Order: sequence, then C-alpha cells, then structure tokens
Amino acid sequence: MAETSIPKTALFQSIRDASPKLVTGVPDGMLAATIEACQATDEFAYIACAREEECIGVASGAAMAGERAIILVQNAGLLNAIGAFATMGLRYQLPFVIIVTNRGVLADPNSYDIEKHDAFELSVKNLARVFTYDAANLPKDLVPAAFKWAEAARRPAVIALERRLEGATQ
Amino acid sequence: MTANLPSQKDAIASALKLYPTRPYAVADIGSQSGWLKAASHDARNLYVSGPMGLSTSIALGVAASRPNEQVLAIIGDGALAMNLTSLITIANAKPDNLAILLVDNRVYEYTASVPTPSRELDWLAIGRSILGDRNCARLSDLAPDKWAETPRPAMIVADIAQGDKPPPLGMSPAMIRAAFLEASKA
Repeated sequence: MAETSIPKTALFQSIRDASPKLVTGVPDGMLAATIEACQATDEFAYIACAREEECIGVASGAAMAGERAIILVQNAGLLNAIGAFATMGLRYQLPFVIIVTNRGVLADPNSYDIEKHDAFELSVKNLARVFTYDAANLPKDLVPAAFKWAEAARRPAVIALERRLEGATQ
Repeated sequence: MTANLPSQKDAIASALKLYPTRPYAVADIGSQSGWLKAASHDARNLYVSGPMGLSTSIALGVAASRPNEQVLAIIGDGALAMNLTSLITIANAKPDNLAILLVDNRVYEYTASVPTPSRELDWLAIGRSILGDRNCARLSDLAPDKWAETPRPAMIVADIAQGDKPPPLGMSPAMIRAAFLEASKA
C-alpha cells in the first residue's frame, strides 16, 4: 500500500515528531493503523517482531547506539517481556519509549483482557514510570515529551493507552 | 564428539577474522560475552546481560541503527533456542549487514554444563530453512573471500568443544554502555 493512502493516526504523527531511528512492535488492534503507517513511511525503520521480548532487544540495540527507538505492544506483550525490560532497559539505563495498549479497563471489557490489566498494574507500574492517556485523545507532543523524560531519567518511559467510557475526561 | 573441536574463544576469534574490518560484535549473556572479551576485547563489542538469547534481537537493533556497518551477534545453542523467533524476525527484516555466529557446545556452559534440549538439532539446516541456503555455513568451511560473498542476513554455525567458564567480564552495565555509545557514534 502506498504511504499516501494510509491514514496518519494522531499517535503516528506524535511518533514522527519524536524523530525515532526505528519503531518496533507486535500488533494490537488499537495500534494496527499506527503500525501500518509506520511500516509505510520512509522516515524511520519499522521492525515487525515475532514476539515482544525481541522488541525490547531491538530497541535496546538502537538505544545502545545512541538512537531513539519506540516499541508498540499490548500490555500482555510487555508482560511477556518483563525480564528483558528489566535486564536491558533498566539495567543499562536505556531511554527508549514503550507504547502499550492497556487492555482490560472499564471501556474495554473483553473477558480475556481482565487479568492482563491486573498483571500490568501489579508488575509494570512497580518497575517503571507509566504515563496513562486516553487513546482517543492524545496530546500532540506525547511521544517527544516521553523521550525528553526518558533521556532525562536515563530509563525507559512507558505510555499506557486506554479506552475511556464515552464522555469521560482525561 | 568434542575431540578436535575449537574452543569457544578460538571460534569467536576465527569468525571475527573473516571480516576485513572489525564488525560490531553483540555477545549474549554469560559464556559468549566472557569469551568475546577474552578473544578480542574492543570498543565495538557489546556485552549484554540477558535474558538469554536476546543478543540476536539487540544486534538487529544495532544493525538497523548503523546500516553501513557490519554487525555480528554471538550466541550459544541454548540461548538461540530461547529466542528462536528472532531468526524469523531477522529473515523478514532482511538486514544486509547482520550475521549470527552460533557457537554450539550442546550444553548450558554457565549452568553446570547441563545438556541443552537443542543438542541434537541440525542448526545449519534450521538456519538455512529460515534465512536461506546460501546465507548459512559452517565456520570450518569459511574463508574471508567466501564470507564476503555470503548474503546477509547470515548465520555461521560453529561446533565447539565444551569448556570451562570464561574469565569474569569485569565491566559494569554503565561502562559497557558508555564504551559502546562512543564506539558507535554515527
């Protein structure tokens, strides 16, 4: 598909504004349009990984070389990769940005997502700073701001995107 | 089976000598990092601390970040079995500057040499089925001219002798990161 025919999501625009060297990920329905746009652009590389732990590796390699890298995964995927997150991202103080769709909230009640959300709350939020946003109402400078924070803190920044009930405020 | 096989240190040194100029070398946790440092310590080495098997993925990130430089991931058979899907990701990404050195001693050397569940696998056949026939070779069959013509992404399979643990790495994560950052400046 030609790049021009793919709609640019607000998340993609924010990713592009952060000027990453690469984006890597494993698809989630809420991220699909953004991933399609990332795959189509020639402004940065998109590396499609077979599993989420690899994404931490790919982003770590880029960050070790001093480049900006972004990971796009679902909360279950980051849970699969907690060991890699700790032993690479935290241990080596790598300032990459992880964008996670935090499934299992009130407006996103798939039965198979409930425990993912519980596990994410218990584990990731105890390991890392997680910045939570309404997936339908993203600040334009979200991803650039996350990099500024990660580079100042010298550790990964996690952005959790959640669905909100209709009429809810941030 | 280990008679006449090279040590891990010698296999790593031999693989690095296939390149006309020093590649970036990303070594897996434990034996590979220790033996890479013992074989050829260099600012272009990246010693990673896990989880086991992640070096191939980290090397892919380095290769994508430095497309004009050659990158060699160094990984054991037990470790690659833990991140076998990375071969699929690498085959799909098609980096033309990435190779994998698989050092196969059929044991978890750092863990009391417990046998690996992959010890009876034909790693060359696995590599060829995922990366391509021409992209994979045994270290013993390679010379610099043949290696230069081997398409990337590539995999070198080195059968090695079982041995002792390497000397301690003696570097903190901050030291490793700072050295590699300096060596890999664009």
